[in-house]
Amino acid sequence: MKNVFVWLVALGFAWGAAAVGVAEEKEQPAEIQLPPVPTHWKAEKPVGTSAGPVTPDMLRASQIPADRWIQYGGNYRNFRHSPLKTLTPESVKKLAVAWAFPTGTVGQFEASPVVYGGVMYVTSSYNRLFALDAKTGELLWRYDHKNAENLRLCCGPPNRGVGIAGDLVIMGTLDAHLIAFERKTGEIAWNTEVANYASGYSITSAPLIVGDLAVIGVAGGEYGVRGFFDAYDVKTGKLAWRHYTVPAKSEPGTETWAGTSYERGGSPAWTQGAYDPETDTLFWTTGNPSPDWDGDGRAGDNLYSDSLLALEPRTGTMKWYFQFTPHDVWDYDGNTQIFLVDAKYEGKPRKLVVQANRNGFYYILDRSDGKFLKATPYLEQVNWATSIDDKGRPVVNPDALPKEDAKFRTCPSNLGGMNGSFTGALNPDLGLAFIPSSEACQVYSKGISAFKEGLPYLGGLPDTVDATAGKAYGNLAAIDVATGQVKWRYRDNRPMMGGVLSTAGGVVFSGNLEGEVLAFDAKTGKVVWRFRSGGGMRSQPIAYLLDGRTYVAVPTGSFSTMDSFAAGVTKVPEGGTLFVFALPK
Amino acid sequence: MSRVALSLALVALACAGSKDSAQAPAAAPESPAARFARDPAAVDRGRRIFIGTCGAYCHSTHDVERDAPSLFDCEWKHGGSDEQIFAVISDGVPGTRMPAWKGALPEGDDDIWRVVAYLRSASTCKGGVTGAH
Repeated sequence: MKNVFVWLVALGFAWGAAAVGVAEEKEQPAEIQLPPVPTHWKAEKPVGTSAGPVTPDMLRASQIPADRWIQYGGNYRNFRHSPLKTLTPESVKKLAVAWAFPTGTVGQFEASPVVYGGVMYVTSSYNRLFALDAKTGELLWRYDHKNAENLRLCCGPPNRGVGIAGDLVIMGTLDAHLIAFERKTGEIAWNTEVANYASGYSITSAPLIVGDLAVIGVAGGEYGVRGFFDAYDVKTGKLAWRHYTVPAKSEPGTETWAGTSYERGGSPAWTQGAYDPETDTLFWTTGNPSPDWDGDGRAGDNLYSDSLLALEPRTGTMKWYFQFTPHDVWDYDGNTQIFLVDAKYEGKPRKLVVQANRNGFYYILDRSDGKFLKATPYLEQVNWATSIDDKGRPVVNPDALPKEDAKFRTCPSNLGGMNGSFTGALNPDLGLAFIPSSEACQVYSKGISAFKEGLPYLGGLPDTVDATAGKAYGNLAAIDVATGQVKWRYRDNRPMMGGVLSTAGGVVFSGNLEGEVLAFDAKTGKVVWRFRSGGGMRSQPIAYLLDGRTYVAVPTGSFSTMDSFAAGVTKVPEGGTLFVFALPK
Repeated sequence: MSRVALSLALVALACAGSKDSAQAPAAAPESPAARFARDPAAVDRGRRIFIGTCGAYCHSTHDVERDAPSLFDCEWKHGGSDEQIFAVISDGVPGTRMPAWKGALPEGDDDIWRVVAYLRSASTCKGGVTGAH
């Protein structure tokens, strides 16, 4: 924090000097040279020293101890389920604000904080990274990434958090870098350019740490990039492998793209995957093919867009894949949160991977071989496909295809359903997955587009008719993980686009775009607590226990443009604030 | 009657002045957008380019302000003449999400002019045109 003092002194000196100059030489007013704004404040002394390095074994634990939150998904299975039994439908009524922290930025505050060694590491929009005392909120170190002005962002400036490995915390940036910081001091350990942002790439996701690798994917499906995800050596930042999600010339899969359309095929990988330590399998998901809403020039299934890939984590070699939406022309990225769950399926224990897909169907697959088992709608409105056949292929409704003079109201909207920008949660004791979603339909039009590197490549647009008319709404649904049956729904006036936290005490936390943080009874869906934060909730909440006290952390703050797109014009202002609540001691 | 005579004289003078001023500066050449505006097929191509390239997560097809402004309310932040709108589309706006489209559309500058023609045809100028010059 000394830097701040130095700059204030410098600023004061500049003002003083300027004032003297003006007094003595009235004919030539002095120009005041303001010092550059500092962007990096390192810790004055090492922080979080009570804990040693984060080890692979810590990350592999199926139930991570309550004094930490070290995975974006809660654990490798992505359950986002805290072991805390102190957070019950009764006790949450006693939650009160322990501390709050402003990010100083606008745009979506989508992060899942990480807590380790009593320190919280949280990222804001535009890639600010803060290290905070997790009990008091005291700012320990801070880094503001200097992004380029001409970023290639389709949908706002979010970041969803850091990965933590050894003594490093690792953040991806909107200008497509991956940067590692010493967790105790904030010093930069390495900074690797993942891709040239000017070509249409960006990173919004938190990296997934697997062994000594940090796995990270790129966004860019609205720019006709060639999608990929990478693994980097955690210690050095050197690339270990890259897995392209679109084949190159003469590679298998090009036959699913007309002509050379694969060269600008998109299929980004902008969300986090999952890892199965038992079978040493990495799972990753992919987004929409480019251009989004005009498939005429890319006839075929367009592999490996909108897919789930199972891979060998040491090499990135693919074991199997499953494509949810072949030849997508609605922007139904296949990259919503996947859960790795062991459950009885039709009476037999199975190792499953399940997903509430952006296209409105809840999928159940066998994660050992990718075999499709079942898909059922989890939304109240789905009409782009009439069903999913027994091989997992959608039966497309021809009326729902984008047209030049479109009139048909197609459901869900291009945002989903669920969306990769927010998480669900899974309570393994109840066998329920908690899925936030948007209930909105759109009229999909196609038009004229041409590819040029670094420029939007869209091909059409979804006319947000429901959102514009104020008819878009949202649900938080509890879904039986092994059947897809919806057990309960909570309905909100606007789409539910905030992430979810589940607790062993039987509570589910989320929030809404109106600016409320909400807690639900996990068994019934009844709202048992609400807090007016003032900012739309787009983040991934967490819980942790320190010195016997239970905390719940909820970043708040949304992005008006996407709110308007999803739900109609909003009066809720932007601005990120992290709220941390605590139960009484 | 003298008032009538005076009025006629003033009208004559005004007409003469009008004639003189019309002869002095040459009329501004018609913009390509104005020419395309008379061709329904060109306006429709401008519409389809807008749908395929400019809408979606950027400019709304409705009169809705996002971080990308509405282009149908006749309020122009960077100048509202055909040439100024063309320049913004062509060169982009530094520091914003608006990129430079020059050379990026299938039929080059003509396609940009067609988009300008479409925006003119689809706009509702409730409060008049701002930023015209």
